[in-house]
Amino acid sequence: MEDYKFLFKVVLVGNAGVGKTCLVRRFTQGLFPPGQGATIGVDFMIKTVDINGEKVKLQIWDTAGQERFRSITQSYYRSAHALILVYDVSSQPTFDCLPDWLREIEEYANVKVLRVLVGNKTDREDREIPTYVGEDFASRNNMYFMETSAKEADNVEKLFMEIAHALIEQAKVREPVSKYEGSPGQALNLNNRPQTASNENCCSRLL
Amino acid sequence: MASQSIDLIDLSMLKTFEDIDQFEAHIAAKEVECSEKIYDLMKTRDDIEIQLKTISQRLSSLKPVEAEAEHFAEVIKSTAVLAEDVSAKVRQLDKSKNRVAECQQRVNDLLDLQQCSEGVATEMQNEDYEKAAGHVHRFLTIDETKLKHTARDVSEGKNMDASFHKLHHAEEQLKLVVSSKFDDAVREEDVASVERFFKIFPLLNMHEEGLKRFTSYLSSKLRESSQKNLNGAKITKESDKRASVIYADTLTLLFEGIARIVEIHQPLIETYYGPGRMLTVMEYLQKECDFESKQIIEEFRKNREFNKKIQLVASFMSNKSDNKIDPKDLDLVLSELTLLNARTELYARFVRRRVLSDIEVSVTDEAEKAKKIAFLEKLMKDSETLRTMQLLLGQYILLEQYFMAQSVQKAVELDCLVEASGEDTYVLSSMTDDVFFIVKKCIKRSLGSQSVDGVCAVINNACGILESDFADLLLNQLRQGFPSGYLDLAQAYSVISASFQQGKIQASDIEKSRTQFVAYLNNTDVSMEYVTSLKSSLDKSINESFGSNLTQYEKDKIASCLSGLGSVNIRLKSVSEFGFSQLRSSAVKPRVKPWLDTFFHARPSYEIADEDFMDESASMQTLISDLDSFFKSFKVCLSPSTYEAFVAMVTNEISIQMEKVLFKIKFNRIGGLQFDKELRLLVGYLTSSTTWSVRDKFARLTQFTILLTLEKVSEVSDYWGKGPVTWRLTVTEVRQILSLRSDFRLDDIKRLKL
Repeated sequence: MEDYKFLFKVVLVGNAGVGKTCLVRRFTQGLFPPGQGATIGVDFMIKTVDINGEKVKLQIWDTAGQERFRSITQSYYRSAHALILVYDVSSQPTFDCLPDWLREIEEYANVKVLRVLVGNKTDREDREIPTYVGEDFASRNNMYFMETSAKEADNVEKLFMEIAHALIEQAKVREPVSKYEGSPGQALNLNNRPQTASNENCCSRLL
Repeated sequence: MASQSIDLIDLSMLKTFEDIDQFEAHIAAKEVECSEKIYDLMKTRDDIEIQLKTISQRLSSLKPVEAEAEHFAEVIKSTAVLAEDVSAKVRQLDKSKNRVAECQQRVNDLLDLQQCSEGVATEMQNEDYEKAAGHVHRFLTIDETKLKHTARDVSEGKNMDASFHKLHHAEEQLKLVVSSKFDDAVREEDVASVERFFKIFPLLNMHEEGLKRFTSYLSSKLRESSQKNLNGAKITKESDKRASVIYADTLTLLFEGIARIVEIHQPLIETYYGPGRMLTVMEYLQKECDFESKQIIEEFRKNREFNKKIQLVASFMSNKSDNKIDPKDLDLVLSELTLLNARTELYARFVRRRVLSDIEVSVTDEAEKAKKIAFLEKLMKDSETLRTMQLLLGQYILLEQYFMAQSVQKAVELDCLVEASGEDTYVLSSMTDDVFFIVKKCIKRSLGSQSVDGVCAVINNACGILESDFADLLLNQLRQGFPSGYLDLAQAYSVISASFQQGKIQASDIEKSRTQFVAYLNNTDVSMEYVTSLKSSLDKSINESFGSNLTQYEKDKIASCLSGLGSVNIRLKSVSEFGFSQLRSSAVKPRVKPWLDTFFHARPSYEIADEDFMDESASMQTLISDLDSFFKSFKVCLSPSTYEAFVAMVTNEISIQMEKVLFKIKFNRIGGLQFDKELRLLVGYLTSSTTWSVRDKFARLTQFTILLTLEKVSEVSDYWGKGPVTWRLTVTEVRQILSLRSDFRLDDIKRLKL
């Protein structure tokens, strides 16, 4: 057996061309491949990280943004532990689509899923979405928020590490819940999350 | 006091005779030391002298060596100068030789030029285009500027300029003629002429032009046959046995047509155009393929009312409408969809393989190779054919999801109690078999698409249905609980199974809901087995249908989707545990308590005299026979592994409740032995009614009786912390149990060191 204590599925979604694949490449391989072609279907990658001495295996599913792959990508929502919804800070249309993506998440994903909003491409000079607008959207929809640049490797490592961290906390909180409890009951309230890691947590200022 | 060194005597320090004596002794010792040192040094003198002598002798013989070395250096220097001289001359010679060769080449070129310019006109007139092109080809290999330069030197200029002019003119003319003749041949469908002129293009350095014209000719042929096939498909009768897959067939014919073109023409192209042309050829052919496949798929959509189906299903699935399609009506189109995708995957693999091996043999520069491979990938990835198919695959997944969900829904609606197949008599409900049949069917069908993403998505959706909808359904049934009451389950069951045979159900509500509960407990258990066997059967089928086409990455991807079935079993396990907890509180606990009450009431006291000890225990026999009939009533209606779990649960309950009672009873040693005897009977019986060891469940009670049967308190130390026994009782419990013995003194128990 492989040596890890937790296995988490992380799924990235968002419009085509916002940089989902680049975020994953940057995190898993430390690369920024220019001229990245559109993803076909779903790609998956694995990275094992160390969180406070505990081995955490992150299974990252990088989905195609184009509409025609929607029914493939939707099939991954249900078993996801975390969903990263990505938009491009230099493209208003990718931000405008966020409510549609949220509707999809509501429809297909587990209510307990950890939802993270990511504004990518902060290296771009032609920013259209100010940080506070993204922040505001995230807090209104009970999501974590972070801005990243896959190109400059800015906040990428942090993003995935924070997610791993939050998921471990979530798993530990949930463990004592009665196992006879059938269908997923209550949504996890982000405000009730233990505050241990959140002082340096990017998201704490939101909540 | 006297200093250490002689040089630093301070005579004023010598104040007494003792000082002087001491100092004198010191000096004497120093003297001895010095003379010893001198003696030692003198001993090496002879050796040194001998060595010095030999050195001076050898020195004289070195002189001639030095002279010779100098001479040698002189010789080498002069040789080097000579060698350089020679090689300079050789270089010059080589240069001259090259010039001569070049000169000869020029002369040849000049002669050929003359000949070509004369020949080309004649051959053109004779319409011998091969020969004319041959002349032009020869002329095109001549380096025009250099030749002109040379000609001016030998004052041949005018003559040659005329030849060049003539040939340039001929070249232009020939290009036009060959192109138009090729087009004529295409129009007249003169295959021989098409090939004839196709071979002339490269002679005129018109490779690209030639390939373009030729592939567009091949494309037109392709279009012709594809249109014919499509028209045939449109008028195919429904009774035709290929009718349900006719569009997949038509698409297959298109792909086969392209494959045939490549098979036939690749050798021809390689011979006349050289290797490494397949990428260009495919680029042109793919355009035609895109056009044709689009038409076929459009026709498919129209004829199968596909878009309407998709729309209906999509709006139903997103709760926008209640209009349903019978899943059965989707069966055929789902199969055709997988076939369409499989053919496309096969075609894309063929193209990739062919072009890649062509690039492999023709391009040596790695950067150039990578560029070409990237171009090929882009060509295929961005092709309309593949895009169309991706859209179609997505719609297939949606329809398959609908099919699966609706068929499961149907199975649930038609759910009825059935007896398990085979020798077992237990009851379960029909939906378990049906649901797993449906899920397996859908996933296996998706394998037919040959798309890894497609298979993964269908597996994910199947896991979703099993883990959520199906498991919720089982859970909700078990939530209704197992009704308690005095009627035995075996009776209820026999009523139900009698009604099976009579074809009507008449049992009372309680009986019905009991059987229902048991059936769903069995369902849950059997489902876990089904999930496990589904996984291994899929592992096998995936291997079979993809064969060696899967990369390690793709295998891992499928495997991690399949691991979702593991989560299904975790969920089912928790459902089953819930069911057992229901059964425990409503059927087991209420029974065990009165049994144990009866058992312990039968014997007023465990403080008994020696003569009251009995080998037989009527009260334990009663308990065992009660237990036995209770087990029997469940054995007939539980699946084998559910029954095992049931016995384990009952056993556990008995040992827990028994222990509680024991703590309230007083014993003497004989009484302890009596209970030990009785417990052995019970453990013996339980061991015989199950396949696993029940001893573990009775470990605490067995240790309990060890303590109850001790002769003296101090004997505890023979057992505690010694031998193979792992104590399940805590120190406090041990003292507590010992204090149950009325014949033990509390002080002795307190004094025990544990």
